Amino acid sequence: MSSERVARRFFLTASLAAGGGLLLGYSIGSDSGLNKVFAAANPENAPSVTDIPLNAWVRIAPNDEVTLISSQSEMGQGVMTTLPAVLAEELGADWSRVKIEFSTVAPAYRNPRINWQFTGNSESTTGFFELLRSMGASAREMLIAAAAKRWSVPAGELYADSGRIIHRPTKRFLKFGDLAEDAARITPSQNPGLKAQSDWKLLGKSLPRVELKSKLNGTAIFGLDFIVPGMVYAAVMQSPVHGGDVSSFDKNSVINLSGVIDVVPVPNGVAVVANQYWQARQALRSLKVSFAGGASSEISSESLDKQYRAALAGDSWKTVKSEGDALREADIRGKFSDLYSQQYESQFMAHATMEPMNCTAHVTDDSCIVWGPLQGPELAKLTLSGMFKLPPERVTINRTLLGGGFGRRLLVDFVVQAAVISKAVGKPVKVIWSREEDMQHDVYRPATLHRITAGLDKAGKPLAIAHQLVSPSVLQYVYPPAVTDDNDPTCLEGLMETHYELPSQRVDFKLLKVGVPTSVLRTTGYGPNIFAVESFIDELAGKAKQDPYEFRRSLLKDERSLKVLEALADKSDWKRKPGKGVARGLAYTEAFRTHIAHAVELSVNNNLVKIHRITCVIDCGIALDPEITRNSIEGGTVWGLGVAFKSNITFKNGRTVESNFHDYQIAQMDETPPIEVHIVNSSTKGLGGTGEVGPVTLVPAVANAIFAATGKRYRSLPLSRHGLRLAAVG
Amino acid sequence: MTEVEMRTVTFILNGKSTTVKVDPEKPLLWVLREDLGLTGTKYGCGMAICGCCTVHLEGDAVRSCVTPMSRVEGKRVTTIEGLSHDFSHPVQRAWMELQVPQCGYCQPGQMMSAACLLAQNPKPADTDIAEAMSGNLCRCGTYQRVRKAIHLAASLLIERGVAE
Repeated sequence: MSSERVARRFFLTASLAAGGGLLLGYSIGSDSGLNKVFAAANPENAPSVTDIPLNAWVRIAPNDEVTLISSQSEMGQGVMTTLPAVLAEELGADWSRVKIEFSTVAPAYRNPRINWQFTGNSESTTGFFELLRSMGASAREMLIAAAAKRWSVPAGELYADSGRIIHRPTKRFLKFGDLAEDAARITPSQNPGLKAQSDWKLLGKSLPRVELKSKLNGTAIFGLDFIVPGMVYAAVMQSPVHGGDVSSFDKNSVINLSGVIDVVPVPNGVAVVANQYWQARQALRSLKVSFAGGASSEISSESLDKQYRAALAGDSWKTVKSEGDALREADIRGKFSDLYSQQYESQFMAHATMEPMNCTAHVTDDSCIVWGPLQGPELAKLTLSGMFKLPPERVTINRTLLGGGFGRRLLVDFVVQAAVISKAVGKPVKVIWSREEDMQHDVYRPATLHRITAGLDKAGKPLAIAHQLVSPSVLQYVYPPAVTDDNDPTCLEGLMETHYELPSQRVDFKLLKVGVPTSVLRTTGYGPNIFAVESFIDELAGKAKQDPYEFRRSLLKDERSLKVLEALADKSDWKRKPGKGVARGLAYTEAFRTHIAHAVELSVNNNLVKIHRITCVIDCGIALDPEITRNSIEGGTVWGLGVAFKSNITFKNGRTVESNFHDYQIAQMDETPPIEVHIVNSSTKGLGGTGEVGPVTLVPAVANAIFAATGKRYRSLPLSRHGLRLAAVG
Repeated sequence: MTEVEMRTVTFILNGKSTTVKVDPEKPLLWVLREDLGLTGTKYGCGMAICGCCTVHLEGDAVRSCVTPMSRVEGKRVTTIEGLSHDFSHPVQRAWMELQVPQCGYCQPGQMMSAACLLAQNPKPADTDIAEAMSGNLCRCGTYQRVRKAIHLAASLLIERGVAE
């Protein structure tokens, strides 16, 4: 035990909880860029950076119950299970006595790396692993010190197990609850000793999800299910043209309808408020309302396409990566007689969380309380305190379970609506978006356009690659400080840290301003970029007449990359010839700090693509809960099938065309082949995320397999554009 | 003219006779959620595409978002809350064993469709599962586990049959 000590960017504090018991918290003293941005925009409401708050992550109650107060929202990724397990492991807690609560918004709950409170970026476990281990270890040392004092024995004779501090020589023990009050008076160590991985009892094993049962009998409370006594409901209609607004509405057209209470303007739209949601929804259909404006009324998929192509054809690129000679596309064309250049495109996509956007709020003259399925509670708090001119302590953000997040719920447009409507009617209000509102007023994953150009040697090996990327912003609304006039680092993910070893690498970027809203969506930059890169590498392998697996191996030196790729070849039987009419494709990358590779086996008949088998290997450092990890990668793989074949958002007259799951399609049960997920564990250093990585390599692996099957290379998504359809499996 | 004519509808909900006074056109989904406080049945699309709102009507899996109350009069309705009181239904046991849910929002609908399939076909093949379950969308992509769990539930049903 205590074999490993980690450096920390945070420091621990302890205090006595009201009502007895130990509280442990942490604080970050430094300012962040984000604070400055919001301070500039909204000087009254920027969070104070001089405070060193004593917020609690850990509570040990006199009845021995250990509570983790989590800043991270549960949206299916398993944080309600894995985060308490990390804590309990170091603490030596009794797992059956560990509970989890969702925190409010406070600096102590921020992601330590980014200094901002949110759930996303595949960091909800990895971003808090070190912190919670330290919290647990430090609390354990405090409990041990308290027991040592009480018994007058050396601390070295004591250890923690199953919620007790045990005196090794005499087997005497004291329960955590008996020691918590004394322990809280002990100054926590800034550098507590951590358990050796070989001593782990909870981590690295699969635990039943803490909230599992509630999801099997209908008692799980999502935002849609949360009820405040006396609350009323709102149905909203926003300007169908992006950026437009209501020009007029006639309250009298609905005010006498059954249950209707009021009609309230909201940003970009109007809400009908009624005693029940069904009443509000029905009345909204009868509301006389007209919309106007929206700079984007001329925008269509065709006009966007032209804009992208003009950008790719034009100059004034921002060079974001230069390695070796860093030859530009033009240089490569001038210097190499053997060269290869192709363009790739990814589509606009909607999040389409199964739970549509919704939020409950109660706003009075001097307070604002919100309950909702939120990934971005700090942004919600800042925004609302600014809007209502309330001090931050008068704004309370509560979180429910999320029926999917995928980045959509980092934004707070639906939160603002609930609050505005509540203030107007003077009651608690739940706003629920129809599926149509949800899909047509999403903030979309931006489409991307790429040109990749390689200079080759005589054997077809690339010596220089220049990648040109055109993409609108991903981070503009959720993390504005990272975005400048001509750069957004999230757009570049996967291009900056490629493991292929080439003498000359260059990435040139053009941040496109488009008239449709774009934001974070599962896989962020990695998805489109790795589709392009892994398709291109596959093309180079074909041009060199080499096996795609061997070709990639020849370009990789990184040990983890090779291990994952080799494990994939092994698990997918890559070296064995596939059955008659069946072809294989693969792809590899590192994304969200996880190494991942997919192999896909499929056959194609009359443009009908039947997938027979999918094999995936990942190395995320250590899978802290292997079943949760596997489930996440299986699900990401299925998501990827939708990206590859089906999901596509298009625009016409400034509006989103697709409105529900009939025209915005995702993968279904009958299209889901057997998916094997194999985990390669490497090290606890640098844990990788697993929530978003699944689709990243699946999509190019599908395109590569289709090429292997048909000789046709498809370079734009979704494949339905080319008439390809996903067949039922089996 | 502006007031909707309310009607009394009596039906058997999770084994209990239940009476509500509602707009007969109001979908069962919203009656369950707003009038009866059973929020386990979810809203997903409102047009019978996604399956989140699946319940049993006279033992058949139906989409409650498009089932008007006028169709429910005198019928038996089972929701996720009525599947069992103690997680003893084979579908619940299998879902628990294989840890099917991620976010969990679509799972009540998945489970109600699965329970109906198994009631009508106690040993479904993959193709039967595909047919019965393809109208239940899952954005987290848990289909493989749903499929495995239905097979497991089928074997639990057989065990239970043998035990009885």
